[in-house]
Amino acid sequence: MKNMTYKTIQNAITTGIILIFFEMIDLTSTLAIILEKLFTGNSKVKTVTPNYLIAVIGLIVFIAAAAFTNKNLTPASKISLPKKLTAGLIFGLITGGMLALLNIILGNFLNNGVDLRKYLEVLSPDVIRNFLFQKDIQSAVMIFFGTSVAGALAGTLVMHIFQVTGQPAGLWHSIKKSYGSFQQQQHSRRNQLISRSALVLLVIFILILPLIANAYTISVLGLVCIYAILGLGLNLIVGLSGQLVFGYVAFYAIGAYTFALLTAPKPLGIQLSFLPAFVIALVMSGIAGGLVGLPIMNLRGDYLAIVTLGFGEIIRILINSNNLTDFTGGPQGVKNIGQPGQPAFIGNLLGAPLKNNVWFLYLIFAVLFIVIYVVFRLQYSRTGRSWEAMREDETVAQACGVTTSSYKVLAVVIGAVIAGAAGAIYASRNTYTGPGEYVFMVSVNVLAIVVIGGMGSIPGVLLGAFIIKGIPELLRDLESYRMIVFGAMLVIMMVIRPEGLLPVKRRRLSVKPESVESLKENFKS
Amino acid sequence: MYFEIKDLHVFYRAIHALKGISLNVEKGEIVALIGGNGAGKSSTLNSISGIVQAASGSVIYQEQELCGLATDEIVRMGIVQVPEGRHIFPKMSVQENLEMGAFLRSDKELIQRDMERVYDLFPRMKERRNQAGGTLSGGEQQMLAIGRGLMGEPDLMLLDEPSMGLAPILVEQIFDIIFEINQAGTSILLVEQNAQMALAIADRAYVLETGEIVTKGTGLELLNDPKVQAAYLGGESEEEKLNKGEYYF
Repeated sequence: MKNMTYKTIQNAITTGIILIFFEMIDLTSTLAIILEKLFTGNSKVKTVTPNYLIAVIGLIVFIAAAAFTNKNLTPASKISLPKKLTAGLIFGLITGGMLALLNIILGNFLNNGVDLRKYLEVLSPDVIRNFLFQKDIQSAVMIFFGTSVAGALAGTLVMHIFQVTGQPAGLWHSIKKSYGSFQQQQHSRRNQLISRSALVLLVIFILILPLIANAYTISVLGLVCIYAILGLGLNLIVGLSGQLVFGYVAFYAIGAYTFALLTAPKPLGIQLSFLPAFVIALVMSGIAGGLVGLPIMNLRGDYLAIVTLGFGEIIRILINSNNLTDFTGGPQGVKNIGQPGQPAFIGNLLGAPLKNNVWFLYLIFAVLFIVIYVVFRLQYSRTGRSWEAMREDETVAQACGVTTSSYKVLAVVIGAVIAGAAGAIYASRNTYTGPGEYVFMVSVNVLAIVVIGGMGSIPGVLLGAFIIKGIPELLRDLESYRMIVFGAMLVIMMVIRPEGLLPVKRRRLSVKPESVESLKENFKS
Repeated sequence: MYFEIKDLHVFYRAIHALKGISLNVEKGEIVALIGGNGAGKSSTLNSISGIVQAASGSVIYQEQELCGLATDEIVRMGIVQVPEGRHIFPKMSVQENLEMGAFLRSDKELIQRDMERVYDLFPRMKERRNQAGGTLSGGEQQMLAIGRGLMGEPDLMLLDEPSMGLAPILVEQIFDIIFEINQAGTSILLVEQNAQMALAIADRAYVLETGEIVTKGTGLELLNDPKVQAAYLGGESEEEKLNKGEYYF
C-alpha cells in the first residue's frame, strides 16, 4: 500500500510538471483555442475563453489519471474502488496544488507590477490573467484544485468502469481478431478481386485528387510526394543494402542545381528544355553517387555515415559560395527555372488546359509511380537479394560470392539518381532554388521517413513521407508548438512500433502440404 | 598437387597474423587446422577465400594462383567458405539462405537437385524452410550455414569452427555430417578449437600457434602426441586438474 501511495505521488508530480511546462510555453492556451474552434466550429477564435482553458487542464489531468489507473491499479492488484478514488483524490490534489502554487507566484508578480517577459517571452500579463481565469488569485486557486481533482477522480472512475466491464479493451481485441481472419481470407480468389478493385479505386482517387483539391493541399501533396521519392531512394541505400548514408541531401542538391542551371536564363543561360535537362540532372547525380561510392567501397557503418555527411556539407558550401556566383548563382540561388510545357492534347481532351500546379502534381505522381515501379522490381531481383544479404551479413554475403564493393557502389548510384530526379522536379516546381534548401535537416528528414515507415518497405516509405512532411502541415493549428507535438509523436511511434509502421513482410514461399505431412511421418517413425 | 599454401603472410596493420605458413590438401581429404585463440586459423581461411588479402606467399588450387583474386572468382572455382560463429542471414528464410549459397550459379535444375540434397542431409531444414534463419536454434543455424556452403557446389570446403558454442551431442551430429559430405567427394579444410573431434575425423592435421605451424601429422599421430595432448586435448586427467584448482565453474 505504501508503494501505491508513493507511485500515486510520483505520477501526480510528473503530471503537475508537464502542466507547468505547458503553461510556461503557453501550449495550454493554444490547445484551449483549438478545442474552442473544434467545439464551436468558429475558426476565427483568437483569444482564450476561461472555460475552455479549464476544460483543457481537466482533460490533461483526466488522461494522466486514467493512464495511471490503467497501468498501476490493474484489476490484478485487487484494489477496491474507494481506495482507487482516494488515489485519484491525492493525484488531483497534488497536481492542482502544483498548478495553484505556480499561479499564486505568477499572480503576485503580476499584482506587484513585475514584468515577467524579461525572463520568459510568453509570460505576458495577458497570459497570466488568462491562467487566473480573469479572476483574483483566491478563486483561481479554487478552480485549479476543483478542475484537477474532478479530472483525476473522473479519470480513475472511468478507467475503473473500463476495467470492470472489460470494454473497450475487449472490443479492440475483437476488432484485431476479425482483422486477422480477414487477412487470412484474403488468399481466396474472391477477396483478391476485392483487393484488386480497391487498388483500382485508390489509383482513380489519386488521379482525381489534384482536380478537386485546393491550392494549399496541392502544394503539400507535391512536397509529400517529392519526399516520398527521396525516401524511396534512400530506402534502397539504407533499408535494402544497409549502408548508412547521411549526406543524402547532396544528390538532391546536385539534381536540383543541374536542372536549374541548365534551364534558367541566369547565370549560365543555357535554357535547355525540360526533358534533356532532366536526363542530364539524373546522369550528373548518378556520377556524383559513383564518385562518393568509390572511396567508400570498403568502409562500413559509422565511417560511411561520416564520409557521406562530409560530402553533403561540401556540396552545400560549394553552392553557397560567393566565389562561384557566376556558375551557381551563389547565396541568392537560381531564379526562373524552366518548367515542362503541358502537352496540347490534354487541353483538347478536357476542353481547357490544366492549371499549372495541377499539371505539375500529375507530373510528380508520374515520377513517383515510375520510381516505385523501379524500386519494386529492384527489390525482388537478384540485385535486391544481394543487397539484402549484404545488409544482413557482409562477410557471409562475400563468402557466397557477392562482390559487396560493387553492389555497394551500385546502391549508392541508383539512390543518387532517384534523389536527382526528386531534386530536378522540386527545383522545376518552385521555379526557384537556393542553397538554404539543401541543409543537413533534409537528410535527417529523409532518414526519418525510412526509419518510421520501416526499413526496406516501400509502403512504409510512402506512409513515412506523409507522416514526416504531411502531419506537420496538418498540425498548423498548433503554431509554434507543432514541432514539440510532432517530436512527441515520433517518440511514441518508435516506442510502440520499433520496426517501423509498415515493416517489410517477407514473401512467403509455397510449401506443398503433402511434403510437410510426409516429413512429419518420417519423423514419427 | 590439388591445393597448396606456400609461405603465406598476413598482416593486420602492424600485427603479423600469419608468419609464413605452408600446408596442403589432397583431393578427397579432410585436413584439420587446430590451435588456440588468435593462432591465425580464421585468418588462414579468410586469406584463402580472398576476404583478407595476403601480404605475400601463394595459394595454389588446381595449378591456379588464388592470391589476388576476388572472393567471387574463388567461389566460382569451387572453394566455398563457411564462416565461423553461425553466420547466416537472420531475416531471410531458410530457403532464401540456401538460395544465397547458390548465388553464382545459374543452372536451375542443378540448384534444385542440390537443394534436395541439403534437405536430405538436414531434414530439419526442410521442415523449417519458411522460417527466418534468425529464429533457428544454434545447432540448426550451424547446419544452415553448412547447407548454404554446399549450395555453392564446393569442390573444397573451408569450415571455420563448426562446433563453436554447440552442445556436445550437436557437435557430434555436425561432425558426422562433415564426414558424410567428405565421403560424397568434397575435400575439406577444417579449422577447429575442438581438437578432439577434429583430429578424430581428419586424415591429416596441422597445429597452428601464433601464426606459425608447429606440428603436423596424421590425425591419429597428433591425437597421441603428448605435446598436442597437453596443449589442446586436456592432457592431464580431470582429477589432477581438480586437485590443482584449474577447474573453474
